[in-house]
Amino acid sequence: MKILILGAGAIGGYVGGRLHQSGADVTFLVRPARQQVLQRDGLVIKSTKGDITQKVKTVLKGSEGGPYDLVLLTPKAYDLDSAIEAIAPAVGSNTTVVPLLNGMRHLDVLDARFGKGKVVGGLARVGVAMSTEGTILHTSPFAAVSFGERDGKPPRQALAELDAAIKKSGIDGGLHGNIVQDLWDKWIMLCSLAATNCLMRGSSGDILEADEGRAIVMETVDECHKTAAAAGCDPGEAGMQTIRSFLTVKGSRFTASMLHDLEKGAMVEADHIVGDMIARAKKAGISTPNLRMAYAHLQVYLARRARAG
Amino acid sequence: MKILILGAGAVGGYWGARLHQAGVDVTFLLREKRAETVRKNGLVVKSPKTGDAALPVKVVTRGSEGGPYDVIILACKGYDLASAMDAVAPAVGANTTIVPILNGHMHFAALDARFGKDKVAGGLARISGMLGPSGEILNSGGTGVSFGERDGKAARPALVELDAACRKAGIAGGLHANINQDLWDKWIMLGAIASMCGAMRGTVGDIMESDEGAAIMAEILEECRQVAAAEGYPPSGEVVGAIRTSLTQKGGKSVASILGDIEKGGAIEAKSIVGDMLARARKFGVAAPNLRFAYAHLQTYEARRARGGLK
Repeated sequence: MKILILGAGAIGGYVGGRLHQSGADVTFLVRPARQQVLQRDGLVIKSTKGDITQKVKTVLKGSEGGPYDLVLLTPKAYDLDSAIEAIAPAVGSNTTVVPLLNGMRHLDVLDARFGKGKVVGGLARVGVAMSTEGTILHTSPFAAVSFGERDGKPPRQALAELDAAIKKSGIDGGLHGNIVQDLWDKWIMLCSLAATNCLMRGSSGDILEADEGRAIVMETVDECHKTAAAAGCDPGEAGMQTIRSFLTVKGSRFTASMLHDLEKGAMVEADHIVGDMIARAKKAGISTPNLRMAYAHLQVYLARRARAG
Repeated sequence: MKILILGAGAVGGYWGARLHQAGVDVTFLLREKRAETVRKNGLVVKSPKTGDAALPVKVVTRGSEGGPYDVIILACKGYDLASAMDAVAPAVGANTTIVPILNGHMHFAALDARFGKDKVAGGLARISGMLGPSGEILNSGGTGVSFGERDGKAARPALVELDAACRKAGIAGGLHANINQDLWDKWIMLGAIASMCGAMRGTVGDIMESDEGAAIMAEILEECRQVAAAEGYPPSGEVVGAIRTSLTQKGGKSVASILGDIEKGGAIEAKSIVGDMLARARKFGVAAPNLRFAYAHLQTYEARRARGGLK
């Protein structure tokens, strides 16, 4: 099975690197500058699960090195359009596209472009970053991906093979029986976390210090929960309890990566993570005063960022 | 008439400088470090509208020096009120009138309790500006003040004299027949703009760029208006209209100074400008969902600042 991975950044680089290390046939579709670094230094991973430097296959165009059975993509949501353009030549009649993005809206965009039958659901939970020199820094104890058929039917051959390859690579997760629920579970958590961390500009622990902090976090979780339920994907009481507990740990310094992005002046996935949740809530007649405030905060940030040039 | 001004920042410093230039007997009560700068460089004021000056003003570092004073103008931040009261206490004699020009209303209870209600007049400033890197006052427009008797009675002689001094100094405003109303009019404006610029981290113009920014701004102003009305000081339609227009101006450069304080990691008047407005909303059963978000934002900032977690 041939796998193409778009980009060799933090998540794509880590997942692809572990797959390659365990013998999978992996090719990275990268930009010229990244290719140069990879050819010179190899793909360098520093990880809680072991460091490795290895030579990897790279191509500059999706039309090279194919056909591919699987295309994995892990772009930021605001780069989705250019990611689609890049992989399009690599997507043949038997290719399966596995997006590892947060939120849901990218699935509609990918379906429209490649046809629903080619696109499966996928999700990454890897605490990883890339240094300025291009080293993949995996500092957290967790590294998991999950993927599966969105219609809940038995997985196609390519996904079964990907599952085997992932298990061999030492990455947790793999095939998921209800990937759409998994996507919603993560989105509820992420949207609540990002919306409150960014609106309040603090960690979950900082927010709990405000008189109404806990109440505001809980309400925000409720808004996302109701939206998921309206989409037929209620995580259930146990699932919700996990999310609520995670967001209300007293003294927690944990923050959404979106807050880091805000504070360093970077682009943020405001529309994808928060704006789209509001849009889906609105369609279902659910009121979202907290998400509305958070989204306004993010839009003000983006306006200011654009103004500063 | 002898006037003591506590603080020589963008507000008190500007007001005092213009009074000094007009020949009024003004003394500044300053902390040691600020006193040193002012003694060395003079009180330096820069204003594109009203002109630059470097003035050899009178400076004391203790309230017991140079008195007794007829009027004490308190131009400190809300979070410095306790130390400000301690500092001016020795300067308060039997016939002294205190004119606080702090934002909000919280300070009156503390001042009344400490000095007696009859000594404490109402006051506010509409002077905008900041201190430059070498302590110079950079005035950016707005040069008015307002003060008066809180019980609405005829002004005492000290306030009448202060009014005359302000006129001589070219300071707009002066004696106000209904200072409580004026305080509320200013507070609803400030409550709205400080909440929004603080919680949204942008100027009025930036806020207007978001889908819901104008709506949220109008809602938060309405929350403040309802609190003022419940307190017995409903602002006129004209006042509210003018505030709304200025706070929902597309491309508007207006910004609350609290944003500058946040961005430099400084202390903020969260409680006196936003928290107390929210507390009063609760007391009167006024729904204030947006003030609630804003206050939570500001409290989160304060918690993070307290733990040294700001970059």
